[in-house]
Amino acid sequence: MDTIRFAAVGVALVALSLGASATQAADYVPPGGRIAYALDSLHWAIYQPKDGFVNKQECPDGVNIGPRAQFEALFPDKAHRTVVGTRLRYESDVWFPTAAPDQFVFHEGSGPIASGMNLDGKIGPNDFTSPEGEKGIDNQLYRVLGCIASYRPDDNANDYFDNDEINTDNYNRILIELTGVESLMNSPHVEVTVYRGLESLMASATGSGFVAGGTQQIDTRWGRKYIQHFQGKIIDGVLTTEPHDFVFPWATLGNPADEFMHAARFQLKLTPTAAEGLIGGYTDIETWYLQTNEEESTHHQGYGELSAPSLYKAFRRLADAYPDPKTGANTAISSALRAQFVQVFILHPENPALEASSAMPPIPYAGSPSYPRTPEQARLEQPAQITSENHR
Amino acid sequence: MSFGSEITRRGVRGILVVPAVGLSLLLGSSIALGGSGLTEAYIHVPMPPGFRVVLTDLDGPVFADSSGKTLYDWPRRSLRNGPTGDNKDESECSSTKATVDSGLMSPYPAGLLAPDLDQRPSCTQAWPPARAAANAKPVDNWTIITRKDGIRQWAYAGYALYTSALDRQGGEVLGGSSRRSGGDGPVVRKPVGPPPDVPPGFGVVSTALGRLLVANNGFSVYVSDHDDPGHSNCDALCAETWTPILAPDLSRPRGQWSIIQRVGGVRQWAFMRKPLYLYVEDHSEVHSLKGSDVPGWHNVYTQLTPSPPKGFTAQDTTSGQTLADSHGMTIYVYSCGDDTTDQLGCDYPSETQAYRLAMCGGGDPVRCRWTFPYVLAPKNVRGGSRAAWSAIDIDPMTGRFAQPNQPAALHVWAYRGRPVYTFAGDKRPGDINADGHGEFGGRREGYRAFWLRDDYYAGND
Repeated sequence: MDTIRFAAVGVALVALSLGASATQAADYVPPGGRIAYALDSLHWAIYQPKDGFVNKQECPDGVNIGPRAQFEALFPDKAHRTVVGTRLRYESDVWFPTAAPDQFVFHEGSGPIASGMNLDGKIGPNDFTSPEGEKGIDNQLYRVLGCIASYRPDDNANDYFDNDEINTDNYNRILIELTGVESLMNSPHVEVTVYRGLESLMASATGSGFVAGGTQQIDTRWGRKYIQHFQGKIIDGVLTTEPHDFVFPWATLGNPADEFMHAARFQLKLTPTAAEGLIGGYTDIETWYLQTNEEESTHHQGYGELSAPSLYKAFRRLADAYPDPKTGANTAISSALRAQFVQVFILHPENPALEASSAMPPIPYAGSPSYPRTPEQARLEQPAQITSENHR
Repeated sequence: MSFGSEITRRGVRGILVVPAVGLSLLLGSSIALGGSGLTEAYIHVPMPPGFRVVLTDLDGPVFADSSGKTLYDWPRRSLRNGPTGDNKDESECSSTKATVDSGLMSPYPAGLLAPDLDQRPSCTQAWPPARAAANAKPVDNWTIITRKDGIRQWAYAGYALYTSALDRQGGEVLGGSSRRSGGDGPVVRKPVGPPPDVPPGFGVVSTALGRLLVANNGFSVYVSDHDDPGHSNCDALCAETWTPILAPDLSRPRGQWSIIQRVGGVRQWAFMRKPLYLYVEDHSEVHSLKGSDVPGWHNVYTQLTPSPPKGFTAQDTTSGQTLADSHGMTIYVYSCGDDTTDQLGCDYPSETQAYRLAMCGGGDPVRCRWTFPYVLAPKNVRGGSRAAWSAIDIDPMTGRFAQPNQPAALHVWAYRGRPVYTFAGDKRPGDINADGHGEFGGRREGYRAFWLRDDYYAGND
């Protein structure tokens, strides 16, 4: 086992207990200009007003139907159903989806308001206004997920499972460490390093949350891929980082999986004990789709009326960034995550080389492998040229 | 990073261990299963005439019938929408062919017509009951039940016993595995055997690497190179990290098990004269291999699985280590159980391939070959142990065994008689993009990485 920097930890603990008991950033200066946090809550940013679940503006025609209802509609002849002709046909559509037009109506999240960031610095016709009034919000993922019950806030199926396992599954133990911090209120240049930790979070006495001050060792073997560096600054207690590709572990039901964001950036309100805010960027749609299906089967997706084949088609319609150089089809979609972190102490290995970034930078999943298609197949798999009723 | 490394074997003074660094699929070069005779010791239990114990490569000692065929049971278990399998003293496995899905697994409804009905066996054709002669008498845990069809059938510990139509010779366990199952996987048949010869407080579990010795709470047991035979050199400081496994006052040495005296007269268990410990860093993990990362410390196996063929490698991933091809690309296995009440297999090349063809190519065998390529075996390699690694001939257009001299047949590597694959969606060593490709994360039917070590999800169990 690596020797760890107990001395530094001791200093930090004393500093925290004596000098930073308040949860305000104020002029708090972390010892050595270094402070770390562990992710303890993560949700796709789906705007939901305070006045209800399915608001007239977000989903005026209600939420989408899921796999059970689609199965009944696709295969109504109950007397002649076969495993190959129904169940395996549906599963084939899950695992080998196409962008061909959806035979089911797909309701997109709509309305003028959505959470997120202005990723491109512009105010475009498809952009939203944030709940706080900021214009130019880029979050086309909200259109994809906004009217799928599973992703509506308030602990609906996927929203619940995805978040729950962020804090209960150590595979997902995402840490960020800020160095070069002059104060938590203002620092002109900080470096943010992402690691995967090895320890469980320290639960509060009531079990309803997590408390600051836990310790985390770094996963320098299996987690090398997740060691990444961002450059940023702190202004008025808010950390903002420069865009950088970001891969992070997000397993939900027992299969290791990743998410991948192009040009991701953190926007977090910092305190000595916690950090909270958004992670925005362009989510790779093939990686997203793979993660969802490997983690949650059609059965689990049925909890929240999530149809994977329809979801994929919506992704391909609404993806708005990173066009494939060969086909021109967009491969990523503007998106945001609501994130909360709790302060932790990172116990670094004695040998700094163990923390070296992976020699191979992360790459997104390239999607279901292409194979020789007939012209008819290729035509059917082109992005659909239709838009549903809410797509602007 | 172990990319490109060859898998090798190594042993330490008769105890089968996994060395700390590099490749973790490491089985002693000086110890060959069946050659050195170092196979798992078991407790000799009374058996009816004609039955015996057979030592298998993958599942340790198992009961076998007079022809040496492995015996299996099928205990009842609940699935999403109800249970199936045998209750004690009953058999649900009949000679009537099940033709439709039971709807026990969500979300698909009951009544879907099963594929390849013309070739589909009945339950008793796939799992012949272990018949008891008219004059047979119960012996100890061996009892006799009368089936609904009037046939007398042997049972062990209350559960009806069967052989598998897939097993052709002694020592094969192609019908099922004693490795971990449950959850949303099918209700599987498991080989039945005598208890391992370990003292109370210990157990043995089947893993990808071998039969792993564990404490009764499932935590791994370790030995140290720093100890001498019959003597622990782990002092008080060492014992803060490596907890000696204490032997109660009433415990006595037996077989390969002895008791050593620590300082102060404390009694500690030793296996093959090596003192045994738990690792304090194994927090909540059962069957952990983490302690073997510490130089000089090793997991303990009562027997090891046969090594993969030459050319296979081990590869680090984000969750642990997988078996990989010679280029470091992850190896996958496909497993499948159908949703009839019989829960028959659908992954062996003599069984229906309809499920796999859907998962690998939407029903298109050409796309399957593109998406999940077979791992080709050298032409001059024939046969194999069948129980572990073998080279078989496959018709790639059907996924079934090829006919003799069939043109365009592929000569491929198989584990437990089933082909192994790589995934075209993996672009570089360490990718595991198809781990969970299938229904219920591949546990019900689908592809899963060939885990040698999985620090997060015990995929190697």
